[in-house]
Amino acid sequence: MMILLVDMDAFFASVEQAHHPHLRGKPVIVCGDPGRRGVVTAASYEARPFGVHAGMRLQEARRLCPQAEYVEGDPAKYVGLSLQLLDLYTRYTPDVEPFSVDEAFVGLGPEVRTLEQAAVIGREIQREIDRRFGLGASIGIGPNKLVAKMASGVEKPRGLTALDPEGFREVFWPRDIQTMWGVGPKLAERMRSLGIKTVGELARAPDHLLKAAFGIIGPQLRECAWGEDDTPLVPYHRGLDAKSMGHEVTLTEDCDDRASLEGTLLRLADQVARRMRGEGYVGRTVTLKLRDHRFVTVLRQRVLPDFTAEAERIYPVALALLHANWNGAAVRLLGVSVSQLARAADAPQRELFAGEDRSQRLREALDRVRDRLGEASVVPLGTLVHRRRLAHVPFGTLSSRALAPAKRDAGRNARPSPRARVRANRARDPGEVPP
Amino acid sequence: MFESLSDPIDVIGAFLEGRIQPLRFRWQGRVVRVRKVTGQWSRREGQAVLRYFAVESATGESYELCYDPRGPSWILARAWTGPSGGSDRA
Repeated sequence: MMILLVDMDAFFASVEQAHHPHLRGKPVIVCGDPGRRGVVTAASYEARPFGVHAGMRLQEARRLCPQAEYVEGDPAKYVGLSLQLLDLYTRYTPDVEPFSVDEAFVGLGPEVRTLEQAAVIGREIQREIDRRFGLGASIGIGPNKLVAKMASGVEKPRGLTALDPEGFREVFWPRDIQTMWGVGPKLAERMRSLGIKTVGELARAPDHLLKAAFGIIGPQLRECAWGEDDTPLVPYHRGLDAKSMGHEVTLTEDCDDRASLEGTLLRLADQVARRMRGEGYVGRTVTLKLRDHRFVTVLRQRVLPDFTAEAERIYPVALALLHANWNGAAVRLLGVSVSQLARAADAPQRELFAGEDRSQRLREALDRVRDRLGEASVVPLGTLVHRRRLAHVPFGTLSSRALAPAKRDAGRNARPSPRARVRANRARDPGEVPP
Repeated sequence: MFESLSDPIDVIGAFLEGRIQPLRFRWQGRVVRVRKVTGQWSRREGQAVLRYFAVESATGESYELCYDPRGPSWILARAWTGPSGGSDRA
């Protein structure tokens, strides 16, 4: 099977340029609220020569490229467009596997036997993406996912690179070991310490050396260096069971206020639990992610005695982990995830104690309200307290209406100014992404 | 820079090929004529599907409009208010 990896070029920034013609040709930096501190979510190709890249602190980006347009990202927009792109790919083949919000593997049928035939389809997809969305995509083509993925990075933007195993070796063997898909900075460093500096050197490294250094993945890494990969393409309509579900948020400001952190944690636990119930999962391991203002990240987890998809059980564990691991330093990012997932229907059922069936019925009723009216229609009280403190409304229009009297009570404005209304009505939390 | 708004607006639109398209809208006392719809996407809020439109006005300004079928109503979600001037920020 020939596989394409379609990688949207500078996706978030390109979407903003496509939607807003005055941004075209200019350096565009997509971020959280540009008025606050945060990190660069995406940089357009025009911004990259200034050294700006995703993940960089906004303050640093402003120093390097003060003339850029700073645009607040809109995750719902990017996800919506990503789904439209998947629809476009499925017109060519049902075998489409989303890899991220801006990348997807496209498996071509047995009638496509050569790289040249696959390249014709790749070019057609590129033209269609440009025509319908005004966006650029780079495409890698190969006999497996590994080659397709690595080939997609050879020529950007709007490139198309088709490689067979021989072509793969020719292109990648001379390249630095870190160009290998899956080899991050730490693994690359270990490899370099063993004298493996290029992909070619990994391909020729002796088995015993790789096994001794990396265990069972050692020989697998060498196979990858030969362009071999038997990972199946899993079309998204068939789906894969999730391994974990979580949410994390980069706070709008570094925060050392306990009540605000606890409120944020409650909101995250509530979101994770809602998502798990929505997708029919229960889980047993709760993980807290805590990143402080110096970018020191702590991950701590605890196993529950049984499976759950209830915020009332996830939150106390996350809270206990916070209390045990937070040293009082200002926090930059908080995250909650639940792993060791099982399908709710397959998981062993815990016997309900007296009163718990009532709680369960209440939870089901609240879920139905939120399914019908949106997430903002009912939220845990503790998260409202936290939002009042931050003057920040991450849940949409209904909660902003609910908060409006509180803002007036605070005596800021009897009738909020347009700018105050903008802040109060802010319906999204662009710093928040599923990990 | 873009300003995030949530201003109710009056919109004149057309149904073309089964889809609604904004043609002009009134905001802050003036009528803005839509030259081109540059992008469309949607977002689910409960059972409702909110339709978003990125539009360019006849005078070259950029806006994002949202059609909420529950009203039904239109909201001006985002408006371009001039260059962001990145250097004067924190």
